[in-house]
Amino acid sequence: MNWKQLFLGRREVTLALACVSVAILFQFLSPYFLTAQNLTTILRNSVELLLVSLGISFILATAGIDIAVGGALGICAIFVGWSIEAGWPLAAVLFIGPIIGTALGFVSAALIVWGKIPPIIATLGLFGVYRSAIFLLLGGSWISGLPDTLRLVINQSIGGIPVVGIYVLIFYSVGWLIIRWMPLGTAIRATGENERAARLSGVATGKTKFFVYGFTGLLVGFAALLYVARYRNVETSTGGLVALDAIVASVLGGASVLGGKANLLGTMLGVFLVRLLQNGFVLVGVPSLWEQVITGVLLIAVLVLDALAGARISNYLRSAANP
Amino acid sequence: MITAGRQVRFGGLILLWVIALAVFAARAPAFFSLANLTSIFQFSTLLALVTLGQTFVILTGGGGIDLSVGGIVSLGGLLIAFLIKQGTSPFIAAIAGVLFGGLLGGVNGLIITRLRLLPLIVTLGTYYAYNGLALAVTGGVPISGLPSSFGLLGQSAVLAVPLHTLVIVLPTFIVMVFTLTQMPLGRWIYAIGSNETASRLIGLPVNAIRLGAYTFSGILAALAGLVADSWLLSARPNIGDNLELLSLTATLFGGTSIFGGSGGLIGSLLAVLFFTSLQVGLQMLNINNIWQLGVVGLFLIGSVVLDRTFRNRDTR
Repeated sequence: MNWKQLFLGRREVTLALACVSVAILFQFLSPYFLTAQNLTTILRNSVELLLVSLGISFILATAGIDIAVGGALGICAIFVGWSIEAGWPLAAVLFIGPIIGTALGFVSAALIVWGKIPPIIATLGLFGVYRSAIFLLLGGSWISGLPDTLRLVINQSIGGIPVVGIYVLIFYSVGWLIIRWMPLGTAIRATGENERAARLSGVATGKTKFFVYGFTGLLVGFAALLYVARYRNVETSTGGLVALDAIVASVLGGASVLGGKANLLGTMLGVFLVRLLQNGFVLVGVPSLWEQVITGVLLIAVLVLDALAGARISNYLRSAANP
Repeated sequence: MITAGRQVRFGGLILLWVIALAVFAARAPAFFSLANLTSIFQFSTLLALVTLGQTFVILTGGGGIDLSVGGIVSLGGLLIAFLIKQGTSPFIAAIAGVLFGGLLGGVNGLIITRLRLLPLIVTLGTYYAYNGLALAVTGGVPISGLPSSFGLLGQSAVLAVPLHTLVIVLPTFIVMVFTLTQMPLGRWIYAIGSNETASRLIGLPVNAIRLGAYTFSGILAALAGLVADSWLLSARPNIGDNLELLSLTATLFGGTSIFGGSGGLIGSLLAVLFFTSLQVGLQMLNINNIWQLGVVGLFLIGSVVLDRTFRNRDTR
């Protein structure tokens, strides 16, 4: 092992460098980019995506995918909004989002595990169902002007760290513990690496999948809670591009659609890079309609660069092994 | 060669269609008018073209799927309308638009075959990129005011059958079915879909065929964009929205296996006619079209489950 091998293998290093270079580049183009206020905005805008991306990283690790998370987030947000409108006690409001989210996650898992439907098809179908459901539930009007019942949930800070940041850190720590130290983490990666082999060696692949989709649902529900707490309204477009952003962030972080890989620190940095880019393009005057194009192209670019770099690294290692 | 399973499936499809038609006829007598038949064909063209391409892509296997078709329909239509507004002759503009669609599909195919990436993630990326591009370049505003002479293809009908059904959909369908069932290329498509490794070992050009399938899917999508332009005399940046969901559903509902290598175009076309009749009929009954996307989603999930049941019975 020399420094080159170490360095090439460290995804986080590359990503952190990418974040810094993007930040420097945008600072040249817009003097507002590296202000404390703008950086706070970027961090704030990352919170919901950080949560959803954590779940998507778990799903990708099992060689699955979920493109219905945006719709699920919208549905959870509607229920959170309704529960506030109905004047439920705070404790009940806090739980409704994660509960509905987990239930929706189990629906995906049931289709994939029991129905044996490929994840992309199952979640594409659910995407359509959720879109219709959101329109039906909202009945064409938005939920808006909600009271600030949830103020305490997001506006606190403990020891100078905003409480939303602490939520994110807690979830990521739990995620890291699972993926790195628990048998469940091994089961997740084994399921993604080679499902048949995993099942034959006694891994409960079905239960593992129920866990990852349920866990993602829980995170989506929690993200919906934070979304409603912050914006105090729910629209038909709520959650629109979350699926794309989360998949891009996870793939940037080193996840593969082929499964077996999970890099949570990478996912975190991936989220920051996505949000830095989206924020920077707006600041330099690119209309926000381009956001979808930029993120889509970013996904393709990462896939292509990864594939090319993967070929180069394996060539390099091969030549290092047989000089 | 049609197996027993496929006969049951086609029978089931036609039966479902007849039931839907009977319900509509009972509830809305106008459903069986000649004008309504024309409008079913009229509405089915876009979905039919995109679905034929989607079926080809899925048949070639290797996780083949094209989620970007809707964006290509929109972008192709926009380019054609833009060129016509610039004063290009409609004929040249149409050819340019269709070639552009082939290029966009080719980008999918090249990334997928050269870099050995999974089609679902690549076309998911281009789905967002192409759809987003269509919205971004127009700012969401349609390009309208195309000359009414350009409407010939999209608006005229011969004996109650729309012109585009006769000169685009039908010939494409016949050529594709002929290729798939009578030509070596068709055999190869089924072969690489059902066993990629074996196909490579006997020397079939797997990558070239798959690249061709994605390119062709792009060409057909752009043709759909052309028909939409000519029909509406304007190009909408969101005309292709949800066509990926609809075309996948029609393909799988029509009996093509999501894993490739089995199925065909006749089922796909029957499914397209079924869905379009449903769409037109529900519109006549004034049923809110908010339901549509959800119902299609359920059909998508249902057809994969159904497919598994049929296949298990075939092999038993």
